Amino acid sequence: MSTDTKTTTKSTVDAKERGLVDRFTASPFVSRLLSNRLALAGITIIVAMVLIAIYARLFVDLDVITQSQLGTNPNRAAPSLDFPFGTDGQARDILPRVAYGAWYAMLFGTVTVAASTTLGVSLGIIAAYYSDVTDNVIMRTMDVLLAFPSLLLALALVAIFPDDLGLWRAVAALTLVYTPRFARVVRGAALTVLENEYIDATVALGAADPRVLARHVLPNCLAPITVQSTLNFGLAIIDLAALSFLGFGAEAGTPSWGLMLSNGVSQGLLTGVWWWSFFPGFFLALTVLGFNLLGDGMRDALDPRMREAVD
Amino acid sequence: MISTRFVLKRLLLLVPVLVGVASLVFAVLHLSPGDPALTIAGERASEEFVQQVRESLGLNDPIWVQYGRFLANAAQFEFGESFIIQRNTSVREVLTNKLPVTLELAIYGQLIGIFLGIPLGILSAVKQDSFTDHTTRIGALAGISVPIFWSGPLLILLFAQTLGWLPTSGRISVLYNVEAIRVTGLVTVDTLLAGEWEMFVSAARHMILPASVIGIYSMALISRMMRSSMLEVIRQDYMRTARAKGQGAKITVLKHGFRNAMIPVITVIGIQFGGLLGGAVLTETVFAIGGIGTLLVEAIKVGDYPIVQGTVLTFAFLFTLVNLGVDITYSILDPRIEQ
Repeated sequence: MSTDTKTTTKSTVDAKERGLVDRFTASPFVSRLLSNRLALAGITIIVAMVLIAIYARLFVDLDVITQSQLGTNPNRAAPSLDFPFGTDGQARDILPRVAYGAWYAMLFGTVTVAASTTLGVSLGIIAAYYSDVTDNVIMRTMDVLLAFPSLLLALALVAIFPDDLGLWRAVAALTLVYTPRFARVVRGAALTVLENEYIDATVALGAADPRVLARHVLPNCLAPITVQSTLNFGLAIIDLAALSFLGFGAEAGTPSWGLMLSNGVSQGLLTGVWWWSFFPGFFLALTVLGFNLLGDGMRDALDPRMREAVD
Repeated sequence: MISTRFVLKRLLLLVPVLVGVASLVFAVLHLSPGDPALTIAGERASEEFVQQVRESLGLNDPIWVQYGRFLANAAQFEFGESFIIQRNTSVREVLTNKLPVTLELAIYGQLIGIFLGIPLGILSAVKQDSFTDHTTRIGALAGISVPIFWSGPLLILLFAQTLGWLPTSGRISVLYNVEAIRVTGLVTVDTLLAGEWEMFVSAARHMILPASVIGIYSMALISRMMRSSMLEVIRQDYMRTARAKGQGAKITVLKHGFRNAMIPVITVIGIQFGGLLGGAVLTETVFAIGGIGTLLVEAIKVGDYPIVQGTVLTFAFLFTLVNLGVDITYSILDPRIEQ
């Protein structure tokens, strides 16, 4: 352990003399993360998916993959050189549809995670800082939301929003479902930060509440927030697909992974058309795996007990 | 031992949460678009008839009167009659019929998860950084990343469609009438109670795929928790003491390590059970099993509000009870927690 502390201090001193990139990689957290092969594999998968998503958004014609291609393409064709992932019941090429699915997953996943992080972090910090009544009102409300199995709460909430919102209503419902988790994690972290003397000092110097919270409490809670967001990203992508799968998300015809899987199960399963389920599901699982690998690596890199175990 | 006071205190704390849960369900249904009176009366009913239905449902009362009535009824588990799915049947009856289906699936899935996940987790921890450890860890991560609505269809395609070893969907072969021998509603138990061996085999064969899909997921979560918890325990002083006094490595791990490492694993099993109830919606859809998961989806789609209310509250109630059970088990395993 002692050698580890020495090297860390030394690298921090050195870092001041180097550029931004060096300083970034010299941070003990980042270097531990980058030395974790599984986390690196996760990052690789995520980067690949983001590239596929951007490529699909820029170069795939949404009309062609949404509308029926009967007459143009062979119907229900098995994977071949022309159609590597085969074609579906409306003769649409499945490959570009799966690629476009990556765009939907990344876009809607990002919005869901960003919205629930913002909402949960704000509520958690406010609850910790103002304590008493505010704390009780916020956290007891969170308890109620946590009393439901998550997918079930999402199903119930989806019903509030009008049908024509499509995937956005799934995003709205899941945002509310995930918010309590962030609020809990952040409240706990913020309570520890608030114990520190520098907070008392800032308040004594006359800083307004928003400034204390944004400049001093929030930055010191970032680590748990980042880990929670990353792990939640994978969950959000699965849950968004699950809602579409059950018929409460993407509109019919949309190339979303959940909807393609739903089609594969309802129509392809009994006829043995395996490629309708296999490809969208494979990309979905791979993306989620990427986020879970990265999230796990981040947690290990932050957890001091894990460090000891490795040493 | 565990005190009655602790259990009572925990039970009392449940009351505000359950009132909150019921209030949320009430709010959600009142915010949802769609008019229940219109749903019952039908699109082409006369305005007078719709008004009549509205009056009989109490929808013309002030909102707080409706809210009070809803809470009072919910406390007695009374949600009225189903609008559409099973007209004129009480929600309580519909749920009593369907709940065992979901529970049976969740229990078998959980058992698979526990019996495979715990040994794998221990093995992984004891042989830390070995090939076994790496394989188990990557396998477990893959297990929690694969959605049920993908692994389910793939298993069906392989074992039912291609190999023909197992049935594709449902709970039991259509040749058998399970309702005739219904006692508990758990099909594997009822068939055994009736002494119908062939029916039991059919039910068990139908259970294998859906329970495995749930089991894989649950096994992944449990083995991960077991591993990290065991790793922490192995480094404790009492483990070293046990070894120092000459106890064998295996016995030390199983006798001293296991009990202590189980504490956080119990939590995961509890939380996981709640997740299974939510996941039941997906498993039941994939395998065409008529439990309360598929019931809920159907009810939301057609706007059968009493069923939606009843199902969601039942799920939340079960989930909360399981969590309470977890807390109590926790304090039995580690008496320090109670203080």
